[in-house]
Amino acid sequence: MFEARGVRGALLGASLVAFCAAPFVLMPLLSLAGDWSFPDLAPGTLSPRAWLDFLGGNNPVGRVLLRSSLISLVVAASCTPIGFLAARFVAYDRGRKRWLLLAYAPYAFSPVILGTCLLFLYLRLNLAGTLTGVILAQSMFALAFAIVFFVPFWNRRVLAMEELVYTLGGTRLQAFTRVLLPLSRELLLICFFQCFLISWTQYGLTLLIGAGKVQTLPLMVFEYVNEANPYYAALASSLLILPPALFIVFNRRLVFTRERPAG
Amino acid sequence: MSSFLSRPFGRVVPALLAGTLLWLAMACGRQEAPAPDPITMEWSAIETAARGQAVTMAMWMGDPYINSYMRDYVAVELEKRYGVRLNIVGAQGGQIVSAIMTEKEAGTATGAYDLVWINGETFYQLRQIEGLYGPFTEKLPNAAYIDFDNPFIGIDFQQPIDGYECPWGNVQMALIYNSERVAEPPRTRAALAEWVAAHPGRFTFDSSFTGMTLLKSWMIDLAGGPEHLAGPFSEERYREHSAKLWAFVNEIKPNFWREGRSFPSSVAQMHQMFANGELDFTMSNNDGEVDNKVLQGLFPETARAFVFEGGTIQNSHYLGIVANAPNKAGALTVINFMISPEAQLEKQDPAIWGDGTVLALDRLPQPWPERFLSLPNRRFAPPRAEIQDKALMELAPEYMIRLYDDFRREVLGE
Amino acid sequence: MKSWVSERLRHRGWEASAFAIYLVVGVLPIAAGLIYALAYSVGLAGLLGKGFTLAHWTSLAGQAEVWLSLLTSALIAAATMFLTLLAGACFALGLRTRLRQGVVAYVVYFPLALPATVAAFFVFQALSDAGLLARVFHALGFIRRPGEFPAMIHDSWSLGVIAAFLILSVPYFTLFFSQVYRTEHLEELCRLTLTLGGKRRDCLRRVIGPIFWRRGRSHIVLWFIAMFGGYEIPLLLGRQTPQMISVLTMRKYQMFDLASKPQAFIAALLYFAIVSLLMLWAFRDERLDRDV
Repeated sequence: MFEARGVRGALLGASLVAFCAAPFVLMPLLSLAGDWSFPDLAPGTLSPRAWLDFLGGNNPVGRVLLRSSLISLVVAASCTPIGFLAARFVAYDRGRKRWLLLAYAPYAFSPVILGTCLLFLYLRLNLAGTLTGVILAQSMFALAFAIVFFVPFWNRRVLAMEELVYTLGGTRLQAFTRVLLPLSRELLLICFFQCFLISWTQYGLTLLIGAGKVQTLPLMVFEYVNEANPYYAALASSLLILPPALFIVFNRRLVFTRERPAG
Repeated sequence: MSSFLSRPFGRVVPALLAGTLLWLAMACGRQEAPAPDPITMEWSAIETAARGQAVTMAMWMGDPYINSYMRDYVAVELEKRYGVRLNIVGAQGGQIVSAIMTEKEAGTATGAYDLVWINGETFYQLRQIEGLYGPFTEKLPNAAYIDFDNPFIGIDFQQPIDGYECPWGNVQMALIYNSERVAEPPRTRAALAEWVAAHPGRFTFDSSFTGMTLLKSWMIDLAGGPEHLAGPFSEERYREHSAKLWAFVNEIKPNFWREGRSFPSSVAQMHQMFANGELDFTMSNNDGEVDNKVLQGLFPETARAFVFEGGTIQNSHYLGIVANAPNKAGALTVINFMISPEAQLEKQDPAIWGDGTVLALDRLPQPWPERFLSLPNRRFAPPRAEIQDKALMELAPEYMIRLYDDFRREVLGE
Repeated sequence: MKSWVSERLRHRGWEASAFAIYLVVGVLPIAAGLIYALAYSVGLAGLLGKGFTLAHWTSLAGQAEVWLSLLTSALIAAATMFLTLLAGACFALGLRTRLRQGVVAYVVYFPLALPATVAAFFVFQALSDAGLLARVFHALGFIRRPGEFPAMIHDSWSLGVIAAFLILSVPYFTLFFSQVYRTEHLEELCRLTLTLGGKRRDCLRRVIGPIFWRRGRSHIVLWFIAMFGGYEIPLLLGRQTPQMISVLTMRKYQMFDLASKPQAFIAALLYFAIVSLLMLWAFRDERLDRDV
């Protein structure tokens, strides 16, 4: 009933589209610009130089892209199932409220502030500056998210269905493969994608725990920004934002969920 | 807590925690046996030991052409000639000190970095916390060519380097202006103040290393000459002369870019604004940078460099090895290559970087002196010989550390 | 608490182990980190620590820097949140059909996958003195030189910082509110309000507003916390003094003056205390365990 119609609606829609799509247009464009400085409204020339460098393997972006993908896949693939099971423990336990508050603990931290407090511990464990260390550190956020995400799934209805399986003589394995997995398949997929994003976009923790040695795409963007090299920064940004955006086009449902930590 | 102790949890959790602890203990115990200290080895043995090592170097990565020199020339040659892989990591000054300090606090036996690009206050702080390995410079065959007797090279911020860092490049601070907009540059502090007053919004300096170095030159000028601030840090003299400095800066800053309410956070950002025509001046710790940036096409052909009549600071930058570096042999090999005539010549080429060499040409074997002399001349910066007598020695490192902090309070108004 | 789960189904080894993994990976390190930070701030840890002292705490309490930083961070986060809710509600109510089909329905999801790093870099490119908007102004003849463009990066109003946060938060709340509008049947409730003689204003003030707030409170608090502690965005776009709290903490942590490191940990502890209280308040009567 408050729907804006006609020109007003079109304008409102257009402004939202412009607002949301602008980074996804500007970054690729800038990465293709040969030379683009004030006051030109559009790049003087378009040149695939940065992309050719990247494809030709002359710069480290390719290696960093692979490393980022690996880290994020490992984080998502481990945190999703662990979170799924841990959430069941939380949901069906008498102390669920207490456990759930613990699950929110990492949300109470900004990643860099958490990183400064954690670095000592990671150094003591010889995990700072290693791939394992970065994966573990990022898993703090991803796992917390996965637990918070899955707790509502383990509700009375699901419990009743599980109980029914046993009443009918089914085994735990059957309850799991025939009932629980099919019921949760889409949620598992959403959680996987979200955990992937949490890791994919993480900056502060990766910087501190990785000691700058474990370079990922967000770190690379900042590095190019710091050397005032906007074209390469835009290239790294494009690699960072275009794959998830493409994924969204095909599968929007997977993106919007409750309470993903924004840091 | 009753549920915590209930049956399955009660059995599994202790097992799991025990497993984790075991794993953590293994992770802690998994430190490689310490390699023999390369100081005791012959140079050829060091190079052999270095083969296959991956050396991590922490450096300021604020300039694409310096990064490119490191990645596309140094790293490539090292791999080819010595089988050493060079990983470059962005970190500078306080970041390096803080990282190494945290490692020391945690008792880390094998640190994250092998090699660090440092000078002045970073060197001082690292020595304070015993974070540097050495003395090692005498071990390097190519160190024989270094001009250690030159006080601008052998002494770093009034501190003898004592073999704990190896000179890598030598530069003098210069201001860069656009000669199309500024016909005759203001060559004294007073003339600059006048120029700024007459041209509001066209001058600023960055709030990091380069800007603080400019402030140091001004403080020396305000003190009445370098002799008034030479020697070890003196709180009394610092108070006296820095007060004059802050008064001077605060007096002229209303006519700075953005009315002096904010300053560019990096010299790269200031270069960008100069290139965009937002500023008529930028500056560099490297007197040769103007040529480099014009050749790159970032600066207009009308860009020129000059040095104040009262002088600007000349200093060297150095390479240090971290005390807990896991690849010391590799780091030594890398440094020895970086101070080789070949790598130094490449570095000094204005088209590559334009960084002054630390080698004494009269000690170099033929044909190297010839090659250094026949490098393309600088076109936009004054010749080195002309500005050498305007070179000021660096002050004790504590002055720089204090300037960083006090600048925030006195000028940014924290 | 009366339980609806039978003892037989409640506890399973696998599930308990999974949660134990979280405790080991997520909760224990946080606890250890906090203890370490506390020890460092009172001189009990660290290379330069010389035994127990409250000097760092008392000296910090006397400086305006940290308090100003916390205040600035809170103000920026609050201002952004206010604008976010306003814009999110406008878009959600004004574009209901468009949010379900067509271009808008796809594009609005994009920023949910946007890292703060890229948002910051984008805003820098768009709003700096020589940025895209300044060039549009130049083309329209409003300005002649970059310096004439109003400062939006490192500026005293933190406009760039707020803009970057908004790119991340507005689409989220647009989608969230439009979901609430549907699942809570707000359309029907509003029609009922009108039938009962209410005005459109009453719908907004008495029906939609309160329901949005009630359903959104935990989200709002979590987003507020994320902005309050944001790092990449204020690092690249924020003012130099006072700095936002994460930037300040990192600077103190990495300062040349080695004695400032305890102050970094004090800033971290203050941040943690404030945010924890905020979360406890937000979730005090929230049914965290709401079924889906």
